[in-house]
This record gives sequence, C-alpha cells and structure tokens, in this order.
Amino acid sequence: MGDFNIFHQMPWSGSYAIYFFVIGISAALFFFSTLSWYQAEFKPIRASAFYLSFLLLGLGGLLLIGDLTQPGRFLNILNPAYLNFASPLAWGGLNLISFGLVSVAYFFMLRSNNEPTGRLLGVIGSLLAVGLPIYTGFDLTVHQNRPVWNSPLMPVLFVALSLVSGAAVASFLAGKNEQLQVMLRRFMLWSAGGVGAMLISLLGTTAYGGVGAEQTFMFLTSGALGGIFIGLGILLGTAAPIALLVTPFGHRQTGILSAAVLILVGGMALRYAILIGGQIVQTYF
Amino acid sequence: MSELRLSSIETRGVPGKKRYAMVIDLRRCIGCDACMVACKAEYDVPLGVWRTWVPYRVVGTYPNVRKQFLPRLCNHCDDPPCVRSCPVGATYKVEDGGFVLQHYDRCIGCKACMASCPYNARFLLPKNRTSTDITGVVDKCTFCHHRVVQGMAPACVQTCIGRARIFGDLNDPSSEVARLVATLPTQVLRPEEGTKPNVFYIGADRNLTEHGRAVYNPPEVLERDRQAFDNHKA
Repeated sequence: MGDFNIFHQMPWSGSYAIYFFVIGISAALFFFSTLSWYQAEFKPIRASAFYLSFLLLGLGGLLLIGDLTQPGRFLNILNPAYLNFASPLAWGGLNLISFGLVSVAYFFMLRSNNEPTGRLLGVIGSLLAVGLPIYTGFDLTVHQNRPVWNSPLMPVLFVALSLVSGAAVASFLAGKNEQLQVMLRRFMLWSAGGVGAMLISLLGTTAYGGVGAEQTFMFLTSGALGGIFIGLGILLGTAAPIALLVTPFGHRQTGILSAAVLILVGGMALRYAILIGGQIVQTYF
Repeated sequence: MSELRLSSIETRGVPGKKRYAMVIDLRRCIGCDACMVACKAEYDVPLGVWRTWVPYRVVGTYPNVRKQFLPRLCNHCDDPPCVRSCPVGATYKVEDGGFVLQHYDRCIGCKACMASCPYNARFLLPKNRTSTDITGVVDKCTFCHHRVVQGMAPACVQTCIGRARIFGDLNDPSSEVARLVATLPTQVLRPEEGTKPNVFYIGADRNLTEHGRAVYNPPEVLERDRQAFDNHKA
C-alpha cells in the first residue's frame, strides 16, 4: 500500500533550464561585445558576439513565452495596472524587454560604427545584461520553501554560470586569435573556479539543512539527478575544465576549445539539476 | 497578549475585518472523500486536479494497522508567498476575510505561484472541463468565497459527514473556530515557512505533516502509483 493517493507536478519543467542557459550566454556575449570598445583583444568578436547574443535573446524570449500556458497574455507583464513589483518575474520581464530594446539600438549603432554611442549603449546594455542572470537567480531564491533555490548564492551563481558559459561560446567565435583566446581562457578559469566554490558552499548548506533540504541533497547526489549534477555538472563540467585549463594543453587553442565544450555541457547540467532538484521533494508533500 | 503581526497584508486581529479560517479535526475525519466530491461538484474541478484532497498514510504493523488522513486545501495564508510571486497581480488577498483569490483573466500561466506555494495547493487547470471555459490558468481553493459572502459554509464543510471541518471568523472570539483554536492544541502545516496559514489541524501527527524519509528511495509501488496517476491525467 502506498502512502499517497494524489501526486503533484513540478511547476517548472526542464525547458526553464534551457531558457536559463540560453539567456545567460546571451547576456555574457553582449558583455564581451561591449568589452571590445575597451579591450582591443575583444574587437574581432564585437559584431559576431553581439549577433549571436541577439539571436539567443530572441530564442530565449520565445522559450519563455512558449512555456506560459497563456502565451497570448505575455504582454500583461507590461501593463502598469497589473505589474507586481514584489515579484522578481515582473522585474525580469522589464529587464528582458529593456535589454532587447537596447540590443536593437546597439545593432543600428554597430552598422553606423559610431564609437561614443557604441560605448554608451554597450555599458547600458551590459548592465541590463547582468540583470538577466541576476533575476533568474532571484526567481529561484525567493521561494522560501524550496531547498537549494532559497539561497542568497543563486543570483551570484547564475552570473558566474552566465560568464563561464558565455566565455566558452565566445572561444569558438574567437577562432585562431591567440590574444583573445588567452583572455577568454582567463574568464573561463576564474568563472569556473567561482562556480565550483559556490557549488561546494551550496552542497554544504543543503546537506546540513532541514529535512526537505537534506532529502534534496540526497536526490542531487545520487541516482539519475546525481549523475547530472555531480557527474556532468561538477566533475565533467566544472572540475575537469579547470584542470584542463591549468595544464600546458589548456593554454593551446585545442585545449581551450575542449574545456569550452565541457563547460557548456556542465553549465546546462547544473542549471537543469538545480531547477529540478529544488522541486522533487515538494512533489511528495 | 495580541498576536504578533509581521506583514501589513495580514488580517489577524485587524478591527472590523473578518479573518476566515478552517479547523480540521483529524480525530473526526473518516476519509470518506465526500469533501473532495463536493468541491469537484461545486467548481467543475477537472479530473486529475483537486482544490481539496485527502492524502492518507497507513501506520502500524499488521494486523494493527490504520489509515491516517490529512485533508488538504489552500491555507489562505496571512502572508501568502503566491501573492508576492505573481508578476501580474493575478493572485490577490481580499482584505476583509483573508481569502486568497485568483484573477483568471490576468493569469499568464508562468506557474510562479505554484512554485512558491509550500502546500501544493495550486494547480494548472487542464483543458478537459465539462461546463466551464476557464482553462490553462492556475486555480486553487477559494474557501468558497462565493458561498461565504452569502452566509453559507464552504461546500466541503457543509458536506463533511463527521463534522471534521469547521469554518468561521477567527477575529470573532465567539465563533467556533476561534474557540477551538483558543482552547485546543492545534497545528498548522509547515509553520517554518512563515506563511501564517489559516487552516488549523487538531490531532495532526508529525508522520503526516513532515517530509518523511520515505520520499527518498520511495517503494516501487509508490512509483507505480505515480505512473498510473500521471497516465490517467494525460
């Protein structure tokens, strides 16, 4: 005889993890495009990083709207009479749309190659871009009943994940440009290090949390989800690229690109595991 | 001594305001599920989702076993996380009465309210409704707002054969719920979440109200039940 007669569904499915992944890369690529106005090494990817960022922003927007059960009402989020500023989703919606508008202006500026305007729009856009991983992190943090999610680390972790995944994608855009690869390698190394440090903290606080948190820790570290979180996310997607990047092989283009592939696999796995892991135990309550 | 109020949205002890609450006396619940049926009939709640439900747990060792029931519903929290998390204000709290209700026409279906509810009280309305065209939005128990404002009891309360569910205004010291809460030991679900629920239980056992270790590595039969449940919903 089972203990339950009714089961609950996870409200947020894996498609949200794809959105987090895509939007994080989009934000970081815009940042690298902006950086090109200040660091000459990034100039070769100024346009390509931006175009890919814009494409991913559009894809992310479609994923987000497509996941609503009332996609036709997504404009409600722009209705001042409806907006609830206590919700991070309201801020996130406005942030996303503002970033989209600045990206459009940046596109026209790139065509005209106007440097002062480019710098200004780049800085504004980058500030809005960093808001995207921050809001997605807050989106999870504010749910006080969810183990793993309800941690002040989430917004910072999502910024670091955005930066490391974006740098990984940018390393493919950089091609054989050695100077740029050196810079991107540093970004990947330090961001992945930050992600690793935060994950250790997160695992520690989750393991020593209340009953729900402790059980979430068990889900995250064993079984199928454990394989995704520990195997793909931490070992293959965070520890292995760090180890690779500090070796002499990791200083060469092939090594950097190999690390980038691992980082992208790990970035997606971590987002998925954190999203799903925070919801499993609750489905049994 | 007056109760501590932490949030401006709370209705407890506010002069002139009602604060509706439900007391569920588990000593009286026989698990007949009539409350679930009454609720389904009242609202055309589709198959596979519930505004109120009665999970049970089998306790004891054969042959001395029994079922423990824990009727569940929206807790109409005094500080509801669902109201905070809704980006478009589709979920709101009625100041007089404390009902947590839903604007169906505003809901965009982002499911943030479902993620924020510690009680799993919210669900997405599927397409298979027989006589109502409100679908694809989040729904939940309303404490039968439409009945209560007309002086009637909620459908589940009216139908409860053992009188296990008692409903009334906690701000009225002469009401039965106020007397029960004041004179008997009561429990609320997940008090650590700070939601200040307005559903109180008499005789709730920790085995029922807390996450059990069985959640991790659940028995195979439970997974089969879940699979059958999901298939049925689909």
